[in-house]
Amino acid sequence: MSAFSTDTLATSAQTAESPALIRERKDRRRALGLLTPGLIWMALFMVLPMVMVVYVSFWTQTTFAVNSELTTASWERFLSSPTYLSAIWTTLRIWLIVLVLTILVGYPVALFIGLFVRNKTIQTALLVACVIPFWTSFLIRVIAWRPMLGTEGAINTILLKLGVISEPLTFLLFSEFSVLVGMTQIYCVFMVGPITFMLGRIDISVIEAARDLGASFGTVFRRIILPLSLPGVMVGSIFVSVMVLGEFATAASLSGRKVNLLGNIIVSQVGSLKWAFAAVAGVVLTIIITAVIALALRLVDLRKEM
Amino acid sequence: MLTLSRISRSYGDTVALDGVDFVVPDDTYMSLLGASGSGKTTLLRLIAGFEEPDHGEISIHQTRIDGQAPHLRDIGFVFQNFALFPHLSVADNVAFGLRYRANKALNNDTEIKDRTQEALVLVGLDGFGHRGVSAISGGQRQRVALARTLVCEPRIVLLDEPLGALDANLRARMCDELRAIRQRLGVSFLHVTGSETEALTMGDEVAVLANGRITQSDTPDTLFSQPRTAEAARHMNAWNTFDGTLCDGMSVKGEIAVRFDQMDVSAQGRAPKDHLRVHAQYLTGEFNGPTALSFFRAADGTLLQIIDHLSQPRLPDLIEGQHYDLHFPSNALRQFHGAV
Amino acid sequence: MQSGILRPALATYTALFLLFLYGPMIVLAILSFQSIDGGPQFPIRDWSTYWYQHLLGLAESSRVSQLPVGESLVRSMMLAFMTTVVSTILGVMSAEAFRTKFKGSGPAFYLIILGMMVPGVLVGLGMALLSNTLGIGRAWWSTSFVLHVVYTYPFAFLIMLAIFNRFDRTVEEASLSLGVTPAQTFRRVTFPIIFPGVLSAMLFSFTLSYDEFARTLFTAGRDLTLPLSIYGTFSVEIYPNLFAFGVLTTLFSFTLLVIYGLLMKRFTAKASRFSGQEDAA
Repeated sequence: MSAFSTDTLATSAQTAESPALIRERKDRRRALGLLTPGLIWMALFMVLPMVMVVYVSFWTQTTFAVNSELTTASWERFLSSPTYLSAIWTTLRIWLIVLVLTILVGYPVALFIGLFVRNKTIQTALLVACVIPFWTSFLIRVIAWRPMLGTEGAINTILLKLGVISEPLTFLLFSEFSVLVGMTQIYCVFMVGPITFMLGRIDISVIEAARDLGASFGTVFRRIILPLSLPGVMVGSIFVSVMVLGEFATAASLSGRKVNLLGNIIVSQVGSLKWAFAAVAGVVLTIIITAVIALALRLVDLRKEM
Repeated sequence: MLTLSRISRSYGDTVALDGVDFVVPDDTYMSLLGASGSGKTTLLRLIAGFEEPDHGEISIHQTRIDGQAPHLRDIGFVFQNFALFPHLSVADNVAFGLRYRANKALNNDTEIKDRTQEALVLVGLDGFGHRGVSAISGGQRQRVALARTLVCEPRIVLLDEPLGALDANLRARMCDELRAIRQRLGVSFLHVTGSETEALTMGDEVAVLANGRITQSDTPDTLFSQPRTAEAARHMNAWNTFDGTLCDGMSVKGEIAVRFDQMDVSAQGRAPKDHLRVHAQYLTGEFNGPTALSFFRAADGTLLQIIDHLSQPRLPDLIEGQHYDLHFPSNALRQFHGAV
Repeated sequence: MQSGILRPALATYTALFLLFLYGPMIVLAILSFQSIDGGPQFPIRDWSTYWYQHLLGLAESSRVSQLPVGESLVRSMMLAFMTTVVSTILGVMSAEAFRTKFKGSGPAFYLIILGMMVPGVLVGLGMALLSNTLGIGRAWWSTSFVLHVVYTYPFAFLIMLAIFNRFDRTVEEASLSLGVTPAQTFRRVTFPIIFPGVLSAMLFSFTLSYDEFARTLFTAGRDLTLPLSIYGTFSVEIYPNLFAFGVLTTLFSFTLLVIYGLLMKRFTAKASRFSGQEDAA
């Protein structure tokens, strides 16, 4: 409001304008000018498609097409179908388990790299070692679990040779287990990174002082290390959550159709041209992800941590 | 001639400059003295055009420059951190303005080379042109910053605490050189500093910035011996400023100032009758080599200092915690009549 | 830090973790040298490079059809290149804008960041619906391309934001005070200094786009990109030619990484080229 009134003032009495205000407005206009293309891009190609998903979820679905007559039929069918409802449940369950697994698997690694390795070169080398697999194709990394976990795969072969088992383990591949293992391996890096970063900031002398005063490692961990690393866990959790919730490839490749996530529902519905159904699944997925991100952002200010 | 009139600038609720009136004459070395946070850097940034004032006018030779883009103002700026271009060699740093400026850019390589060489010789960096700016010392960086600015022949050069990043020895040497270089070029320098020694040594004229205003602008000796305001006196770091009612022997009102070296000490009741007296408690002394400082606290809590030159000691032996009469002749006193 | 058993325990754990990370790829690499009559599992019947030849179309006809990677590789590279250029430019512009304080910078920040958070399958679906409704044909160079930028632009933006955070504004002011225009100042001072960041942003954008397929799946139309070709093999039986491809594409990514490293090194060397001459002088 006040910006508007000074604006009108400027046209009537140019000379009365404070040079500072003029400069400020010029800088702001320049900033907005630089920002506009990006924001327009996001509005057109991200926000608009998302709006479209919500809109189409209320369209009428016929056998091979949709028309824009509004109806809640797709929603009713979706919410009354045990198949789809169980997909929601599966998605939430897989997400939670993978989130916990990445924290459990990743935290000790981050603890070691961030806190116990104080040589910068070795620290960087270890971090790079963690990131390098990220540089190979995602789909190839998923596929790589097949010769690893299959009935004639590496693990079964080794276990059989060692005599630990006499029959190949069949639950390893094409099961929920393989999906969990695959996702944990793929997304763990996104947990290790932020936690290591936070732990690396801790002043080691504080910990040493606490230990000199007789505090056990357990106490030091609970009182100093854990609270300081929590923002890292939160940032990592946001990364892992958004990626796991939107997943479908790992399940498609490693579960043998036994695990159906919301993502898989969307893909299969699009495959059979059930656009309205796919859109409903999309909206449900959006709601879940929004809730998760909103919860996480309440706990951590992403802009500050970046 | 650079003229600032009624320049104000605030940041939110903080007032940095509050109606500054200030003139930098041509061919002058002007020092601007101010405590940290007094707005002296803001003042320079306003002149250079990196920021704009809320109110007031800035002009050079009667032409207004406020509102003008910084690159059109033709004003040199030497930064406290030197702000050298890290990706360029010393010579390329110096040649930068000549090469890329919007007006009168040179595209003749030989001319650029000659001018650059000239500038490097001027600041005593002949033969350093090929070096990287990370491969030279702090003092040399300072010279590069100076050469880079001077080679463009700006109408005035602003120096923002240019010696702040140098060690004490280097600072003294650069002081002399800066003065010499300026004299040779005949361009005005506006040198901002927080050190009164630096300001008084360097300036043909010294201005004191306090409470968002220029409180006094004078030649160094006038400013030092006849500060017109209590603020100016305080900035000289050689004057005790205190409330006149503390004095015995004459009724004095308002804030007054007496120089550290013009006060004497005697036991209570032993001060000469024609002198003005202030009762104070001796706190402690500080030995500075050729001089010694003694600290006293007056009845209202004001801290008073007395300087004693070791070659001509005039103070009696002082005992910490004891009360004394500090006295001075009435002509040593400066009164500020309702001044800011 | 002195903590007795903890340190070696954590070190061992980290080693096991790295094995967990690399194990599958190592197994995959070994199996890519399976012989012609071997399957996509152990044991290795005979070491051979047959599947590499098969992949490159050098092997004589076999029961396994060739992976359709040739044209899709070219498409993916083009797509990644286009995405890199656009998202880096947008990222630099936006980060530059964020150096000025302005109202609404918070929402703008989150709007951009949202691009890397929204699942690809969702925006992909939305884009497919949108193009269907508007009657626009879907193709990798149009509908997929804009979504790739939505994904990589936030990364480029964040990298540039971090670079500008550490950027010393006074060098730009120094340039202005020498009479150089803002545009020339950006070209001669700002850009050379932020260049390592730009290079990182480009590397990120290229890698992410090159490997992206969730956003491509519904939007690429008839012509497939490389990840889509791979994804097509998921539903059918896999053969070691896919493993051979995995090894090659990994090598390609590493080549990219090495080029980046060399460019980076060359740049930083240029910046401090003269440090070495100090001793000589």
